[in-house]
Amino acid sequence: MAEKEKMFKRAMEIKFTEEFGDNKQIGGTITGKTAKYLRLGVEQSPRKVEMKKAGQEIAKKRGLVAYNPDMHCAGIPLGQRALTPYVLSGTDIVCEPDDLHFVNNAAMQQMWDDIRRSCVVGLDLAHETLEKRLGKEVTPETINHYLEVVNHAMPGAAVVQEHMVETHPALVDDCYVKVYTGDDELADEIDSQFVVNINKEFDAEQAAQIKASIGKTTWQAVHIPTIVSRTTDGAQTSRWMAMQVGMSFIAAYNMCAGEAAVADLAFSAKHAGLVSMSEMLPARRARGPNEPGGLSFGHMADIIQTSRVDKKDPAHVSLEVVGAGCMLYDQIWLGSYMSGGVGFTQYATAAYTNNILDDNTYHDVDYINDKYGGAANLGTDNKAPATIETVKDIATESTIYGLENYEKYPTVLEDHFGGSQRATMLAAASGVSTALATGNGNAGLSAWYLSMYLHKEAHGRLGFFGYDLQDQCGATNVFSYQSDEGEPLELRGANYPNYAMNVGHQGGYAGIASGAHSSRGDAFAVNPLIKLCFADALLPFDFTQPRREFGRGAIREFVPAGERSLIIPAK
Amino acid sequence: MAYKPQYYPGATSVAANRRKHMAGDIEKMREVSDEDLTAILGHRAPGSDYPSTHPPLAEMGEPACSVREVVTATAGAKAGDRVRYVQFADSMYNAPATPYFRSYHAAINARGVDPGTLSGRQVVEARERDMEEVAKVQLETEMSCPGLSGLRGCTVHGHSIRLQEDGVMFDMLDRRRLENGTIIEDKDQVGVPIDRKVDLGKPMSEDEAAKRTTIYRIDNVAFRDDVEVVEWTQKVWELRTRYGFQPKN
Repeated sequence: MAEKEKMFKRAMEIKFTEEFGDNKQIGGTITGKTAKYLRLGVEQSPRKVEMKKAGQEIAKKRGLVAYNPDMHCAGIPLGQRALTPYVLSGTDIVCEPDDLHFVNNAAMQQMWDDIRRSCVVGLDLAHETLEKRLGKEVTPETINHYLEVVNHAMPGAAVVQEHMVETHPALVDDCYVKVYTGDDELADEIDSQFVVNINKEFDAEQAAQIKASIGKTTWQAVHIPTIVSRTTDGAQTSRWMAMQVGMSFIAAYNMCAGEAAVADLAFSAKHAGLVSMSEMLPARRARGPNEPGGLSFGHMADIIQTSRVDKKDPAHVSLEVVGAGCMLYDQIWLGSYMSGGVGFTQYATAAYTNNILDDNTYHDVDYINDKYGGAANLGTDNKAPATIETVKDIATESTIYGLENYEKYPTVLEDHFGGSQRATMLAAASGVSTALATGNGNAGLSAWYLSMYLHKEAHGRLGFFGYDLQDQCGATNVFSYQSDEGEPLELRGANYPNYAMNVGHQGGYAGIASGAHSSRGDAFAVNPLIKLCFADALLPFDFTQPRREFGRGAIREFVPAGERSLIIPAK
Repeated sequence: MAYKPQYYPGATSVAANRRKHMAGDIEKMREVSDEDLTAILGHRAPGSDYPSTHPPLAEMGEPACSVREVVTATAGAKAGDRVRYVQFADSMYNAPATPYFRSYHAAINARGVDPGTLSGRQVVEARERDMEEVAKVQLETEMSCPGLSGLRGCTVHGHSIRLQEDGVMFDMLDRRRLENGTIIEDKDQVGVPIDRKVDLGKPMSEDEAAKRTTIYRIDNVAFRDDVEVVEWTQKVWELRTRYGFQPKN
């Protein structure tokens, strides 16, 4: 049977056989084992030239040296190999490598801003307290009024106080509150500007699942200003929300600000029904809620919204989650909160650039569909059994296919020049595809570990020792029932014991958690409230297509929120 | 019957080479003088004494300890040598060694070593003279090809990069190069120029590298064709997985 054209072919040609900038790299093939190394240095890259010039200008202006690529390796600058571009997987966007560092990419920053500044808070407990404890009448009209008040107040405006300073609306225009409910009648009666419309944002089947899950409860999706969240931290999100929600209830329902019953309302409206994006971390990691270390893989899978818009392609859904997860967990959490500098970007980009992971995953989908009767297709009654035999078969096929791509295509090997990159790609493909086939996240996780073992034995190498030690002991906890060492994958997260300093893994795990549900067509992986919170086109970052958004950030087309241009001198 | 270690499964040349590396049953192929080795390691000037971090053990008056009595100190430990490193990078284009098999070789065949295994490099730390012993063995035998392997303390990239047009593994720091058919090294592990040109010998031919390598590649010995290794790997994974799944506990 003729081999299908590789999905990474064009990306490899762009990267290794065509000139980019001034790298003089024209010709050759993507299968050649040798290359001519021109050692042109940073001058070959337009972005590095721009950065070098900026460094010189900064040094001149401040009288203190700054970026100077000649400091690299005692005068041997980067670019001894050709500096090559990256194609964002699943898109036609080609970008400079430097522009995938989150500092250089406004879309990446905004994705994390949008997660960190969001929380969900229930309305029902507040309404019950208003009615039963305070004797207020709650009707669709009063709810509409409250929502108007809270959308005034949430960005940082006063409602019952006098002589207050307030935030400038043009600085906080990304802040708002919407509601969602499983009660269609109530949803119809609330002004549409305030509603995340479940029936519109999800197909009928997914909408029914969501409504069945949340019942007739009503919830607010709160997105505090990016600029506030950036100045403070994730734990601030619920506090900012709480203050403004409390004041808005007092104003909207004409309450006494001092009566004792308001304390009951304060708890029921601000805290009792609070759902954060992530859990707080233990003292040794010292982060509050809504910081990435506490973000479970299931929540990450739910935050990404591809499952709403491309349900028929479950592999695509999971690949978008992998991309978003690798960016957040590797580049921002491990690469910045927990470490620092430049290295972590390389781990993450391997999973969402140049269509290498996509090629491996879609190969697996074909393999699974041939062998297991369409098990990787959308459906609930078409799944392969989640058994050792299934995992063994799919993970072995997937891993060896990917290994052989590295062996047949030296440019692919060169693109994933680190073993950790290759290990992430191979294990993610195995895990995601096994999850797609079985509809079981832990079966996918099991495939991850087998892939790691096979990779290590095939190439006699894996990642660096801090990378792969977890992969060599993790198989034993895949199906463990001990709560501190085993959990359903959806409930594990970046701070799960073995994963806490596990660069290059967590985005893959999130993708596997997603795969178990995307192939079943589930409306959500673990929490419908989280899924709904981001089912909203008003957010600056488009969570339906994170990889494209990263590309738009890289080519400087993405417009972020929270800018301070209004209050600083024009340049 | 005396115990005979069964180091590694597999019926292919790659598996056999892996067993040889692990057993230390390796063929010497070239000579690197002690002074040249010292120069390219870059830890001290060739010919100088070994710096020490403590007096010789014999002069230290060690406390009574049954473990100390049982374990004979290595030469480096006895002398009080510093702990130093040797780090190799091996090309994935059929370099003879791979990081794990360098580590296994060191851990099985030498004492007092601390091997670290990464994808593009492999480090052995030990007391300086003990480390040099391991380095010399690995450098002079079939475990290394001067063209496809190299000593690299930092900026190690090369293992996965396409070979240079002359078939030599790419080295950003240009520590060594092909001159008149042999590999000449004129910088130490971390790229600092040294006062000599160390001749590391002729690179292996493509055929010879393919014969001696410990990496599976589809264009030489494909991993999927060594069925015993694949099945053994699957078995290790399955046993570990089942062991962790014990709901009765």
